[in-house]
Amino acid sequence: MAGAYDFVPAIAALPFVAFLVSLFFGRYMPKRGAEAGIIATAGSLLISIWTALTVAGITGSATSYNENLYTWVAGVGDGALTLNLGVLVDPLTALMLLIVSLISLLVHVFSLGYMNDEGETGLPRYYAGLGLFTASMLGFVFSNNLLMAFMFFELVGLCSYLLIGFWFRDDGPPSAAKKAFLVTRFGDYFFLVGVVGIFVTFGTGLFAPLTEGGSVAAESFPVIADQVLNGEASVETFGFGAQTWFTILGLLVLGGVIGKSAQFPLHTWLPDAMEGPTPVSALIHAATMVAAGVYLVARMYGFYLLSPTALAIIALIGGFTALFAASMGVVKQELKQVLAYSTISQYGYMMLALGTGGYVAAVFHLTTHAIFKALLFLGAGSVIIAMHHNENMWDMGGLKEKMPVTYWTFLSGSLALAGIVPFAGFWSKDEVLFEALIHGFGSEGMLGPIFLLAYAMGLLAVFFTGFYTFRMVYLTFHGDARSDTARDPEPVRWNVKGPLAVLGIGAATVGLINMKPVAVLTGAEIDFLHKWVHGPDEGGWPAALSTDLVTYEELMDGVAGISSSYPIGGEQGTLLVSAALSLGLALAGVLVARSLYGVDEPTEHTDRLGGVKTVLMHNYYQDEYQVWLAQGVTVPLARAADKFDQGVVDGVVNGISSVSLFTGSRFRRIQSGLVTNYAALMTISLVLLLVVFVVFGGVVN
Amino acid sequence: MAIITEYYLLLSAAVFCIGLYGILTRESALLFLMSVELMLNAANINFVAFAFYWGNLTGQVFSLFTMALAAAEVAIGIGIILVLYRNFDGIDVTEAATMRW
Repeated sequence: MAGAYDFVPAIAALPFVAFLVSLFFGRYMPKRGAEAGIIATAGSLLISIWTALTVAGITGSATSYNENLYTWVAGVGDGALTLNLGVLVDPLTALMLLIVSLISLLVHVFSLGYMNDEGETGLPRYYAGLGLFTASMLGFVFSNNLLMAFMFFELVGLCSYLLIGFWFRDDGPPSAAKKAFLVTRFGDYFFLVGVVGIFVTFGTGLFAPLTEGGSVAAESFPVIADQVLNGEASVETFGFGAQTWFTILGLLVLGGVIGKSAQFPLHTWLPDAMEGPTPVSALIHAATMVAAGVYLVARMYGFYLLSPTALAIIALIGGFTALFAASMGVVKQELKQVLAYSTISQYGYMMLALGTGGYVAAVFHLTTHAIFKALLFLGAGSVIIAMHHNENMWDMGGLKEKMPVTYWTFLSGSLALAGIVPFAGFWSKDEVLFEALIHGFGSEGMLGPIFLLAYAMGLLAVFFTGFYTFRMVYLTFHGDARSDTARDPEPVRWNVKGPLAVLGIGAATVGLINMKPVAVLTGAEIDFLHKWVHGPDEGGWPAALSTDLVTYEELMDGVAGISSSYPIGGEQGTLLVSAALSLGLALAGVLVARSLYGVDEPTEHTDRLGGVKTVLMHNYYQDEYQVWLAQGVTVPLARAADKFDQGVVDGVVNGISSVSLFTGSRFRRIQSGLVTNYAALMTISLVLLLVVFVVFGGVVN
Repeated sequence: MAIITEYYLLLSAAVFCIGLYGILTRESALLFLMSVELMLNAANINFVAFAFYWGNLTGQVFSLFTMALAAAEVAIGIGIILVLYRNFDGIDVTEAATMRW
């Protein structure tokens, strides 16, 4: 009997079919291709639910799946690489498939309101892009090896380019699309080198071991790497120590992650990507593209845990990005810009969690963030429809009464983003910070202080998050209307309100899947997500795949040297202090925002920041500095290389050819065209040859 | 008494040189053809002379082939000369010197 796993490829195939249908037949459809996308993503969602249920052991006995389905390059001979396309399904995959297909479905429905009802043109292209985007992200999620993941990773990047630049007739979007593509490509370049390095080193790119009939048929690269460190296996490490080499490989792959997940210093593409249609922003920020980077680290977490250096770097980048991006979000005037910086900041938290060994926390935050960020973007989209595509928050105000559904759902998302109990973001962000704190105190060597530094930055960012989130809420929805459009906003329809309602409820409740503080305090077994990725203690999918929490915790303890320590009053005390700290800071941020902007007629307070405001408004001059890198360093370098190429390399080639051309043009004068001359030449040559034979006796030594 | 082989070779060399001289100095294609015939026949004389010298028939058989070849060559050569005449109103080989570079 065919089980859910046989249909997993269809999860990505359905949106792909929708892509083709929208592209070629979209113009003949009443909704210009949206139907295909909605049906396909709904189908994907259903199969994802079925898959998740099977992984949970409800609709089948096999709780995991890892198979190669198609060999597209078969290696010949010993040690040759075989490149496969395959499917890996474990609880992490199942969870992510659910998130991506759910968000994608809601975004498709929302697009009916945002694109169709607004009378946009080029909609078949838009829905085709959405379909391909969803398909490539879903394909990326269930990839069972690194190369396949890389291919879909690139497809995701391509789709983001196509969709961000959807309004290609304006000036901004094409440029933003190019920027997004180039910046992420820059990171992906390192990723590609890392993929090649991992294939060369381990001979495989499998994330989890393949089993056939109960025995291991092919090991995965994290497992081989672990065996190498334990001295049970050996691989070519190109003159480095094994751990150093694994760190290098991990950091190379991390390059792609930093680009896609918009971490410092490759975050600059993301705020510009706001030029795309808002539903696309929701898709990019919540479920596809940006989530891909963090998901990749989580996917190959067993490999990163082998390298404390890589972990420290991930933690530092994450903590720094969280604070850095949050500080820029504080001064932005446009609704979507604030959300863009909040996305960067929140993905910083996820990286912080992964770096500090909080695997569950990272996956949890990825989940909750997907829900509430999709909600916030769709809510922003609703506001933008109402405001006739004016995104400046200073032209809004007082929208609370006029669009209650949007307001209440947006508020739910904002509370989640700010991390106010009991909304989703509180539980996940609290767990991220808690894990960073206890691992910071418990880890050996340099890791501890680094984790604590990252933790401090993350903690500080909580305040900023609360502040900019509620600055946004107050400016948009509260006070008096500050423009005519805000006084008489355009109403939105069910296709906008429906997705908002679903996500609004989700943002309020999805945190309940892993209420760790409550679980610890009361002893109740309600940390479901923890159990979900933990797996059964004996046998089951953890034994088959080694992508479970038990394996990771062993590696954390044994190889990375990360362990937990509770500095204040045991686990419960530390937990309470940590939660109180993050909640207190978030509330402080909210209250500051309320006192500054929660009035009838708010005024700009950014001038009080003085010189800091200019720096923040210019995003710390990151764009300028990258433009300088491109124009001041790369262009002269490229010019010099061009000179070398044109002068030296081409010079040699051209020189050889012009010398032969010149000699040829001189020597061709022998060719008189007169038969007599040729005959004379032949005769003379023959005579000369004879003379030579006579003189040297026919033997030339 | 038989004539010794060296004389035949001398005759052959003389005929060959006359043919070569003709090729190097003449301008008429018809004379060219005749000179080439002379050179071929010089080779034939050599063949027969050596066949006589060694007492076997190989050289004579070869000279038969050469004659057949010469006949064919003359046929083609006359054809070329006809075309030459048609295109250049004459059979001067120095006129037809355009197909070089």
